[in-house]
Amino acid sequence: MSPGPARRLVPSYLATGGVNAPEHSALEELTALTATGRSALPHHTPAHQRLLDLVSDGGLTVMEIAGYLRLPVGVVKMLAAQLVSDGHLRAAAPLPDALAPRTNAGRPSRALLEEVMHGLLAL
Amino acid sequence: MGSSPSSTPVYLPNTNQQRVKVLIAGPFGIGKTTMIQTLSEIPSLHTEEVMTDAAADIDELSVTDKKTTTVAIDFGRLTLSQGRIVLYLFGTPGQRRFKPLWSDYARGALGALVIVDTRRLADSFEVMDLIEESGLDYAVAVNQFPDSPAHDEETLRLKLDLEDHTPLVICDARDWDSSLNTLRALAAHLVSRSGGSR
Repeated sequence: MSPGPARRLVPSYLATGGVNAPEHSALEELTALTATGRSALPHHTPAHQRLLDLVSDGGLTVMEIAGYLRLPVGVVKMLAAQLVSDGHLRAAAPLPDALAPRTNAGRPSRALLEEVMHGLLAL
Repeated sequence: MGSSPSSTPVYLPNTNQQRVKVLIAGPFGIGKTTMIQTLSEIPSLHTEEVMTDAAADIDELSVTDKKTTTVAIDFGRLTLSQGRIVLYLFGTPGQRRFKPLWSDYARGALGALVIVDTRRLADSFEVMDLIEESGLDYAVAVNQFPDSPAHDEETLRLKLDLEDHTPLVICDARDWDSSLNTLRALAAHLVSRSGGSR
């Protein structure tokens, strides 16, 4: 067996050949995170643990997690990316694909804007 | 161990809804935080983002210590349409020196509400420039303070150099109905802008 890289950053059982772990950049401010219920791993820091504890009873966005934990958004994204890739957090994108901005040249779809408008009128 | 969260978290009802944001933009002290607190259904939160002065990196050896600035971003949320949409309101500072941060928050935003104060209209010019550069559609909310000079709409539009289609709404950021009206005006404007000529 050939020696592997100097240090694995993820547990070996998660090093799944050919399958990409979610990229850090895939997490947005409004990505919602929920704990999956797995217990923390040895490489998880107290900061990882605090994040898991916060979303063990429900989902919150990256932005809200940053607010509650008093951490910069960038730090929360890095912690969350690790936890998503380890299988401890479930991430939900802010918009379903059909309504994602990229489907409309970077702009929100008219259907989405109309729904927001009607939602505000109904308040 | 570890510090506890700053307050009891208000969880999302689920994570299947559409989560979108609008920016509430303007200079310090203009009423962004007040409006977010007025509109948000959860106690408003904030994050503190540390920004390194871009010039410090370029300047190499002449700089002895890094210049960093902390920018607080206030935000709140509003659930719409029986929970199908959660609208986030992000209070974003108006200074050009925060542009890198600003661009991050502008990405994916539905649009922006610019708050102005008739006692210091010029303070909002910078943020209006930033928004126009980002390509976001926006509406202008005039936050009325007790001693604000009253201007007629035409004069305000002229002074702010607004395009004819840009909504201009007088509001009181402390008042729910009034603040909600500005959001409705923005949303209607965004719809009309999204469909081209219709």
